[in-house]
Amino acid sequence: MTLVMRRVYVGIVGLLLASGVLQFYFAAVGAFARPQTDDSFSLHLANGRMVFPLLAVLAIGAAALAKAPGRLIGLTSVPLGLAILQSLIVAVGNALGGATEQRTTPLALAILGLHAINGMIIMGATSAVMARARALLSAPTAPAPAR
Amino acid sequence: MSTLSLIAVDLLVALVGVGTWLGAAIAAASGRTRATRFLAVSAVAVTLVRVAVVGVLAGRGWWFVQEKVVFALPLVVLVGAVAVVVLVARGVTAAIVPLYGAGFAASVGLVSPLLTGYPMGVGQALISLGVAAAATLVAWRYTSGAAVPTKRLLVPVAVLGLVGVGLELLPAPQGAADSPIRTVASELRGPSTPAPGGSVRRFELAARKASITLASGTSVEAWTYNGSAPGPEITAVEGDLIEVTLTNVDIESGVTLHWHGYDVPNAEDGAPGVTQAAVPPGGGHVYRFLADQVGTYWYHTHQVSSEGVRRGLFGALVVRPRNDVADTAADPNSDADTVDLTLPVHTFDGIVALGAHDGAQELAVAPGRPVRLRVINTDSTPHRVSLVGTEFRVVAVDGYDLHEPGPVRGEALRVPAGGRVDLSFPMPDGAVALLVDDDASRATLRINGDRASTVDTAATVDTTSWPELDLLAYGTPAPTPFGPDSAFDRDFTLVLDRGLAMVDGVPMFAQTVNGAGYPNIPDQRVREGDLVRVTVVNRSIETHPWHLHGHRVLVLGTTGSPLWLDTFDVRPGEVWRVAFRADNPGIWMNHCHNLDHARQGMALHLSYEGVGTTHSGH
Repeated sequence: MTLVMRRVYVGIVGLLLASGVLQFYFAAVGAFARPQTDDSFSLHLANGRMVFPLLAVLAIGAAALAKAPGRLIGLTSVPLGLAILQSLIVAVGNALGGATEQRTTPLALAILGLHAINGMIIMGATSAVMARARALLSAPTAPAPAR
Repeated sequence: MSTLSLIAVDLLVALVGVGTWLGAAIAAASGRTRATRFLAVSAVAVTLVRVAVVGVLAGRGWWFVQEKVVFALPLVVLVGAVAVVVLVARGVTAAIVPLYGAGFAASVGLVSPLLTGYPMGVGQALISLGVAAAATLVAWRYTSGAAVPTKRLLVPVAVLGLVGVGLELLPAPQGAADSPIRTVASELRGPSTPAPGGSVRRFELAARKASITLASGTSVEAWTYNGSAPGPEITAVEGDLIEVTLTNVDIESGVTLHWHGYDVPNAEDGAPGVTQAAVPPGGGHVYRFLADQVGTYWYHTHQVSSEGVRRGLFGALVVRPRNDVADTAADPNSDADTVDLTLPVHTFDGIVALGAHDGAQELAVAPGRPVRLRVINTDSTPHRVSLVGTEFRVVAVDGYDLHEPGPVRGEALRVPAGGRVDLSFPMPDGAVALLVDDDASRATLRINGDRASTVDTAATVDTTSWPELDLLAYGTPAPTPFGPDSAFDRDFTLVLDRGLAMVDGVPMFAQTVNGAGYPNIPDQRVREGDLVRVTVVNRSIETHPWHLHGHRVLVLGTTGSPLWLDTFDVRPGEVWRVAFRADNPGIWMNHCHNLDHARQGMALHLSYEGVGTTHSGH
């Protein structure tokens, strides 16, 4: 049972990683789309707001069910936290920087640029989770029975 | 500090709060005593700062802090206090779980309102509590050496969450039983004869796809009325009867005609699913109404309007006063001498155009001649309009004449999505330029007087730093039929936000009104003759141009000329109070005129008692 859950855990983290890669791809699609409309970033928004967070929550659940150590469960929840931070960077950046629909400000852009940096950190964290999830797969599922 | 900045600061402080509480928990779990103490003290300080920020924000209105005051702050303060007491009394190891609890409490307090928006209900609070409790249990299970009865404890937590989910899924309570329907909206037709002295003005508009060519030569695949975008300008004289026959050639999603800002009888309003069915390809519909409001208006499709209007299904509607026309015949020096230009601003495939001019449109006018520019924002976001080279007056907003408008120079005008401003000035000797969004390289209007050489000077003045003209304090006061101190029969509040909600039966991260999306937002119910006050609060970080069909609203609390508007920009953190007399029976759309936001749920109905609809859907 635990072994199956560990495979599921690795599978979900794999999907999470794929969703993260796609998120960069969709960002480029949105950036290069002409004309720029509200829909230019619809794929980026749908993947970032729905797919990635959902997979991230499932990954945390799978980590717990796979009897991963507490530290790994904690690490698995990092991508979710940082994904929420992604939206907050945009909200706080625009609001605090005084940007409007028509015009950004240098301060707003200085904050909004962090969206890309945080995106890379999310990928790094997700990759780290992946490495440990795979290591967990080859670890013994239960303490060796005492002889 | 602006309300929006306060909202941003609160988010930031809440975020640091999550970081410090969780950081303290992790430090405790790692056995780092000093780090734990430092982070716990920081967390307490940050939490107190947040309480203070929320206190200031509360002064801007309860709507901005509701979920923080009733849920987020009490929860994190309570759990945080327990954690600190345990930390002091029993040491770091014992405090691990309570500190995690405080971290998760802070997390749900931050995230939950962002997911569901205003207002925070009991169901949502229970779900959030359940999530925080479940996360704390998991943390307990994995940080405690001793056996933890996780499964037994998970049961009440799950029950808590499920009760919350159940409460959220319960249908919203309906208002008082509907009064019997005496009238059907689609039967509230306009008159069939003009006012005395007026004539019948007949127009035919055929909606079809066409390739249009902008002045620069750029061609755009557009949806058009009669093959052009903007569509033909509909003009009339006060008292005329306007009769428009709409046909649909090949717009598969259907079309209608909505007379934006014109208080037509309900059945002529062009709101599909409410006052008529959308006109399918091959179909037709006749609109008839009296031209009884003078000024600058516009028409556009209301079916799948976010796409239809963006692609070009719109045009200007201008009604001139009858006196002017009578004078024209008698006196050649009267207003007939006025250079009267209608300038719809529209973004075609990302290219901003004034009418069909996407570059500089040039015009020669003899100095001294009166000029009137009617600017219409047909986009879904606001535009900034600046007039360079002359002093001018804003003589009308949304078609309504302002009282004693003063001279303006060096100030820009913000025109909300769907809004109009009329600018008037006598032509000076030099040149005048109208800029959109301070950008002289895009669509501009250049009017040359005698000295044409000054044109470039006029167009290259940098208007970016010009302040925005405050229309709330422009002109001078004049009597109005009601005001801020009137006794209102109905008082509605619309709190605009974002959150998960059902929109047309589909769950989405919607643009919400009082926590719901179209068509689940309860109708504003009025009785004919009611004096109605509406408070519109914007809790979100996007601008919402609010537009009520069938009525113009009086902005309450202006210090200048009375402002009667049909579209007003409620910017992030703003609260607008407006009033109107319910004198046009029917069922009226009441929505955000950022048409993408309307599509994402930000729309509801104003409905009169006794009026029903036979249509369904949008």
